[in-house]
Amino acid sequence: MNHFKKERNKFIILMLMPATILLVGLTLFPFIVSFILSFTDYSLLRPGQTKFIFLDNYIELMKTDEFWIALRVTVVFTVLAVFVQVVLGVVIATLLHNENTNISFLRTMYLLPLAITPIAATFTFRLMFNPSLGVLNYFMKLLGFEPQAWLASPSTALFSLILVDTWQWTPFILLICLGGLASLPNEPFEAAKVDGASSWQIFIKITVPMLYPFIGLALLFRSIDAFKTFDIIYVLTSGGPGILTRTLNLYAFKHGIEFLSMGYAGSIAIVMLIITIVVAQIFLRKNKLLTPKETLKQ
Amino acid sequence: MKTFLRRIVLYIFALWSFFPLYWLLNTSLKTSKDALARPPTFIFKPILKNYIDVIKNNEVWGYFLDSLIVALGTTFFGLLIGIPAAYVLARFKFKGSADFGFWILSTRMTPPIAMLIPFFIMYLKLGILDTHIGLIIAHVGLNLSIIVWLMRGFYEEIPIEIEEASYVDGSSFFQTFYKIAVPLSLPGISAVGIITFLFSWNEFLFALVLGDSVVRTSPVGLYGFVGYQKIYWGQLSASASLLLIPVLFFVFLFQKPLIKGLTLGSFK
Repeated sequence: MNHFKKERNKFIILMLMPATILLVGLTLFPFIVSFILSFTDYSLLRPGQTKFIFLDNYIELMKTDEFWIALRVTVVFTVLAVFVQVVLGVVIATLLHNENTNISFLRTMYLLPLAITPIAATFTFRLMFNPSLGVLNYFMKLLGFEPQAWLASPSTALFSLILVDTWQWTPFILLICLGGLASLPNEPFEAAKVDGASSWQIFIKITVPMLYPFIGLALLFRSIDAFKTFDIIYVLTSGGPGILTRTLNLYAFKHGIEFLSMGYAGSIAIVMLIITIVVAQIFLRKNKLLTPKETLKQ
Repeated sequence: MKTFLRRIVLYIFALWSFFPLYWLLNTSLKTSKDALARPPTFIFKPILKNYIDVIKNNEVWGYFLDSLIVALGTTFFGLLIGIPAAYVLARFKFKGSADFGFWILSTRMTPPIAMLIPFFIMYLKLGILDTHIGLIIAHVGLNLSIIVWLMRGFYEEIPIEIEEASYVDGSSFFQTFYKIAVPLSLPGISAVGIITFLFSWNEFLFALVLGDSVVRTSPVGLYGFVGYQKIYWGQLSASASLLLIPVLFFVFLFQKPLIKGLTLGSFK
């Protein structure tokens, strides 16, 4: 028994060691630096005269409307985009899993949005969204709809960004679900079919619950990433019109990189981190994803 | 009828995924005048000039090589380091294991804007700025959370009895891990491998700040075709299209275990 315990502990430590060393080495220093900076008025414009201002950055942040607007934009963008992507990803993965012809072709098509260099894809979208020479308005006119200003109009800008994000990231959910579906046992599905269950019943009662751990993880990672989306928003709207699509990350970028006040930008980053940690903790605890379901015992 | 409906949905989704790429390919075969024509043109005289320009451009080949080295290195080391950690977190409970798992996850939560400057300083001091290994380390760090957590999910789906039986038969933890658990998790390794490769291949911000002169990956290189005054549509779209070929080749190689019933089904 004692020997077993010793072996077990040695195994655990050895297996976790490389990942731990790498992550501590990479993240500890940057985290401490931005954490400390967030309590100072450090600015690259006058680096010699930095003072500790304690919570002033945070208080300033809480008092600014721009922060709350950015927070709301970020939450709306994340929730809507991730919701659409998860529904689409799970449905398409299940349909593809049941398909038996041209699977390789379809899967390759589906992965294209993840494979193409984002810079090229995003600028192509900008071209397609262009009000006068874009292909989207060309189709709108062809189908008898009013042409839209897409990225420039307050009513469609956020919607357009969600559209692009959905195009780019649904394949991520899809891929995880395909991997999940391929690793699930066949018996429950076959048993349900023998019992005469309809496809819809199988999907709701068997596929979704069995796939749930994968859907949960895909949703979690997609939300973490969507919460700090930067490039598509920066290229397509730069936060406009006005500040209607300016997310927290763009707000931090504006202060950190354009205005060079790293302290203030650091405090935005820390607030984003705290929000993500709290939401992720609640999500993981509720879904019991923090600890293993079964453990190796002796 | 049901099969027919399913196919319609699947092909509509394929069309939706493909259309922006079609537009990119379309643009790559147009003259710069046609590319920005009003209204947009579907039928035009295709030209190969953009492709010839790109193939002749040694810098683009350089981007391609740098991206390939970094993305392959990231996938290999990421899986090598991440899989063991994922397995332990899926199969053992120890003091602080939940917090440890969450800490790994939390490394993905910090907005990169806050990390970039300290990262740059750290790399400068270590002398690994603008090197392949430096960028590989950064990309492994950025993606390790996703590798560990997704692989952990896949290990939890494997019935634990198989591993217990192997252990009772006298195999050590380590033998059980690489002889039983790793082969059984191939669909997961395949999906996670593809994801890691694509994340690294397309990562822009860190590649720009930690690389850029000696090591310039394709996202950074292609950004060079976007000028302040003008976007060089021809070269941007032609090189992006060409860069898809190696990616699709990699995805094709790696996707085999994703095909249903190849692993667990044959095992039982």
